[in-house]
Amino acid sequence: MSTIPRVSSAIPGEPAHFGSVLAHQPDIAASFFALYGRFWGSDVLSARIKEVARMRNARVTECGFCRNVRFDKAVAQGLGEAAVDDITDGYETSDRLTDAEKAALKFTDALIHDPELLNGDARAALQRHLTPAQIAELGLGVTLFLALAKALITLGLEPETMDRTVLPTPAVPEAAE
Amino acid sequence: MTGAGRSAVQAALAADPVLAAHYADFRAHAEAALDPALVALIRQAVAAVHGMGAAPDEAGLDAATRSALAYARRMTFEHTAITDAEAAAVAAHLGEPGFVAFSVLAALADAECRAALVGLAELAGE
Repeated sequence: MSTIPRVSSAIPGEPAHFGSVLAHQPDIAASFFALYGRFWGSDVLSARIKEVARMRNARVTECGFCRNVRFDKAVAQGLGEAAVDDITDGYETSDRLTDAEKAALKFTDALIHDPELLNGDARAALQRHLTPAQIAELGLGVTLFLALAKALITLGLEPETMDRTVLPTPAVPEAAE
Repeated sequence: MTGAGRSAVQAALAADPVLAAHYADFRAHAEAALDPALVALIRQAVAAVHGMGAAPDEAGLDAATRSALAYARRMTFEHTAITDAEAAAVAAHLGEPGFVAFSVLAALADAECRAALVGLAELAGE
């Protein structure tokens, strides 16, 4: 896995990072950030559950950038580092994660790793804890988390080192509202 | 894929027209940045890896396009093993803007196949 950018920055004076590289395709960038802001801005599914799924994707795909970023909305909803530390193999036994979060994690594993993991019991648990609209948002989120992690990694945009960083939760850019 | 070109994600978002429209817009821009024939080949090659249809017939394709398809297949289960040389070859063929669009599209195609395999649309009530 390369930590040397495989594409240059499209923004003069800025190093190659996800935003500056995606700027090679302004229409893709604008539509993505509008979508991502809308997704995080929706409260159909809590930011905390979205962040739990994002953290799981970060670990499974080995996305170091994703793994070290925290979105402040989820932190404000009580997702602390002790709970994040439990989002690893064996999360089923965590006493810091809720049953709804464990069901979302099983769905996340099924989507990004093996659909067979969403067996009868796991499927029933997901449908017991989340509404169809919440599952739709979760599915959108995991799809985007997975795709972006893979794009970021294969474009060589993984940082060599990175501290844990709390960022403002993505919002819809004003121009896209 | 679900239906005529509609992904499982789009189907799942049917009850949220605004979010669905944003997703469709993003997806359309990712596709519009590349040659439509290449888009179709990438989607077909990725879907075939997931057992969702036949692999594309590459007999008449040039070497650069075949390399791009091989790279797209690697995105599905071997994304951390892709080398600088493999990336450089595709980037040389498509140019930097094209390589960015290709990377987004191939990764999105993979994720959409996975969403279909997990039954996302049905879980979302569609």
